[in-house]
Amino acid sequence: MMMVRSTLLAGAFLAATFISNAQAEVLKGAVKTENIAWYGTWKGGLAEAQRTGRPILLVSGAPQCHNVPGVW
Amino acid sequence: MDRSFLANKDVVAASRKFVCIRLATYEDAAENEVLKGIFTMRSELQNTVFGILTPDGKTHIVRSGRSPAWAFGGQAGRGIHEQPLESMKKMGQTMEAIALAYPGKGKAAKGPLPLPYLADLRLALNVTAADRQPLVAVFAPDAAQRKAMERELSVVAWSEQFIGQAQYVSASDAKEFKAVKGVTVKTGFIVIQPGIFGLEGSVIQEISANAKAGELKKQLANALGQHKPNTLSYYEHRAAGVRAGKRWESKTPSTDNSSPRERIGRQRR
Repeated sequence: MMMVRSTLLAGAFLAATFISNAQAEVLKGAVKTENIAWYGTWKGGLAEAQRTGRPILLVSGAPQCHNVPGVW
Repeated sequence: MDRSFLANKDVVAASRKFVCIRLATYEDAAENEVLKGIFTMRSELQNTVFGILTPDGKTHIVRSGRSPAWAFGGQAGRGIHEQPLESMKKMGQTMEAIALAYPGKGKAAKGPLPLPYLADLRLALNVTAADRQPLVAVFAPDAAQRKAMERELSVVAWSEQFIGQAQYVSASDAKEFKAVKGVTVKTGFIVIQPGIFGLEGSVIQEISANAKAGELKKQLANALGQHKPNTLSYYEHRAAGVRAGKRWESKTPSTDNSSPRERIGRQRR
């Protein structure tokens, strides 16, 4: 049970961050939400941070819950 | 409105002054080592990692941990979806202060602004399903052609209208699309609707590889508007996946055995 809760809570941290409805606008009939634009690899992101001199916001999470994919 | 840290409007606004990197834990051995250099418990990589680093990636600017709550206060247990406003505000303010200390090179930065790629199509389908966003594949067998396509798409992807609205992956071989239904082109920008569980996808729209930024903007706006996000709740999604036998095998073993009680305890210390 502890493992179940552990995995659920870890996933919930990331899931909650990407299903926001903050600052809604219209994008061709769909609701647009303001989201963080993520680099998906360390190599790509670090190269961009070094190129631009901007600081790095880093998060990581496993894209599955109890081996069920499609959820953080 | 969701009140978690990384969806907070002040945090999102401040993030534009950062390079934001989100990795998939346990999917790449080299990235696992990077993450272990940022945060571990009992020397083991945890499912989730959070950090704010200097531009060289070497120095922690705030306390690293499993989530922003480790640096800015907040809930680590059942209340994780309802973080205190003061904690989120603190994160946004801290990021603004860090951005002042590290203003970047501005126009002096050399080289083109790259697309924020995911590692590969397999992972990209899963990540975009989890984010409930469309995926755009830059597909061309020829590396020079892909570079030219990336230059055009990058202008669009980082524009005010499109930033954070889709995710991107590079593909050089038609075989990479074996889990995507409806691919007909040999080169092009392929906008994909990820399946609910991110194990497959289907084509929303194919856009010519020769499309310039202006045309791409129009076509992409149309394609992204056709994306249909998963509407299941977190728990409904998990239950449906278990019932349907949908499984994801990470490329490296999970090493996260910590309990919520332990994590909360550590956070409070």
